Amino acid sequence: MLTTFTHSLKKSRGAILGWGISMLLLGAMIVPVYSTFADQGEAMEQFMEMFPPEMLAFFGGLADFTTLEGYLNIEFFSFVPIVLAIFAITSGSGMIANDEENGTLDLIAAHPVSRSGLFFGRLASILVSLILILALSWLGLFLPVQFMEEMDLDVIKIITPFLSMFAYLSVIGSFTLMLSLSMPSKRMASMIAGILLIADFFIQGFAELNADLEPIADVLPLNFYQGRGWTDGLNNEWFLGLLAASLAFTLLAWWRFHRRDIRVGGEGSWMLPAWVPFRRKSSPKPAVVEAAGD
Amino acid sequence: MNNDYAIKTEGLTKFYGNFQALFGVDLEVQQGEIFGFLGPNGAGKTTTIRCMLDTIHRSGGDVSILGVDPKEDPVSVRKMVGYLPGELNLDSSTTGEKLLRFFNSMRGGKADWTYVEALAAKLELDIKRPIKNLSHGNKQKIGVIQAFMHRPELVILDEPTQGLDPLMQREVLNLLKDMKSAGATVFFSSHIMGEVQAIADRVGIIREGRIVELAEPRSLIKRSLNRAFVRFKKPVDTADLDAIPGVSVLASDDGMEVTLQIEGEMDAVLKAVAKHPVSEFETERPSLEEIFLAYYEGGN
Repeated sequence: MLTTFTHSLKKSRGAILGWGISMLLLGAMIVPVYSTFADQGEAMEQFMEMFPPEMLAFFGGLADFTTLEGYLNIEFFSFVPIVLAIFAITSGSGMIANDEENGTLDLIAAHPVSRSGLFFGRLASILVSLILILALSWLGLFLPVQFMEEMDLDVIKIITPFLSMFAYLSVIGSFTLMLSLSMPSKRMASMIAGILLIADFFIQGFAELNADLEPIADVLPLNFYQGRGWTDGLNNEWFLGLLAASLAFTLLAWWRFHRRDIRVGGEGSWMLPAWVPFRRKSSPKPAVVEAAGD
Repeated sequence: MNNDYAIKTEGLTKFYGNFQALFGVDLEVQQGEIFGFLGPNGAGKTTTIRCMLDTIHRSGGDVSILGVDPKEDPVSVRKMVGYLPGELNLDSSTTGEKLLRFFNSMRGGKADWTYVEALAAKLELDIKRPIKNLSHGNKQKIGVIQAFMHRPELVILDEPTQGLDPLMQREVLNLLKDMKSAGATVFFSSHIMGEVQAIADRVGIIREGRIVELAEPRSLIKRSLNRAFVRFKKPVDTADLDAIPGVSVLASDDGMEVTLQIEGEMDAVLKAVAKHPVSEFETERPSLEEIFLAYYEGGN
């Protein structure tokens, strides 16, 4: 498992640096601009009031540009989890399915490593990668603050939204992982996870305008992400709830990986019986030949 | 199951959804032998091999690899086995050496690196080159090295010589013989009859998910149909030849030139033919390939 973990982590170096440095630079660019907003706080608020209330409601109401926290909520924490969800989706969907579809998993799995070792070794490397990306993102906010005297930001408090973001992204990643091990291809898993991610984002926004959507919005993962209100401290129930959901999806994915056959390569099929309408013509026999590989 | 066997399968079945790929495969491979596993594409060779390593789960039956059930303890089985997949795909983002070192670390660093370098030299492979720049044949060599480098007790190779030039094919076959000399068991699948005939102690033929023959290559050839062409000096009554059990007359040109198909021993045919003056007698021994084709085409 340790070999799997270190090997996977080494292979993720590019992704960690690419995502992490991008987020770090984003933070480093956003924070210094705050002083401009702070100086013109009143003017900004007047400017915001010119927008239709529905539109403001969609984005969570009037932005508080008079505080650094309020400014960061709007300029950073509102959309960064959606951007990093792309990393979570690609990592989750590709954790096992990537090597399986390019045909390298067959040989790796024939080495003395249990499926659990393979699964959890790779999962651990993704979690560490995510933590490192979030750490670099945090550094992007923290460092500029240290160099700008007029800014006052609690180092501990600013970790709170990152913790919440970690839990939220874990849910997205583990959900996609589960899909990728239950569906014929990682492409399909990524597509469904992506659609649900965007739907979640819009439902949260529209629920601010339409109370009928609130029951749906209330159970979706983005609702439990603390992009706002983190100055009051971490909402433990939300945080642990997201981690519990992530654990549940992970265990389902692990169970699925244990039960299924490892493909020789390529995408799989649903292996639907012949009487099912609209099934792919290739299913089941060619899929079997592909799976059998001989 | 008996521990004397390197590989033993009993009633091995495998379903992919509703499709049955293996129908009760029974195999026994003795320790220290080279076993050739023959079959056309789609016959179930790779499925059988992958069930042995539990990369796919068998649907029924029993499998024992060096006394261990791969379903119960796949890690122990894989520790003892070197495996080369039939459809070899390697991580192309690295070099051969780094990949081999990764595989070695997955095996707990058991491989003697000088042996790895010796194997690479024997196969004329520069392992420092990026995998993406290697030809199919050179990638296959990396596959062969990773299967052999920890000196396993059993090597399972799915089409080991595919993509290699004839010289390298011979080197790989020599490596298999070396493995056997060192006490290891070799199980390899192939559709190239010549190489199986050259090195295998025993052969198994699989067709449509069923083992249709298990034998030594020599006895397979012996037991099979032979053909004989006889040119007599004067016309003979071919009915006498046709009446011999196991013999049939395939063609006769006025009783002068006769082609016979003989199943089993030749003795009775030779005695019957010797009663007449003969100007020419030729026999054709079928190659393993012909035998294999006979099985494949449903001849048996």
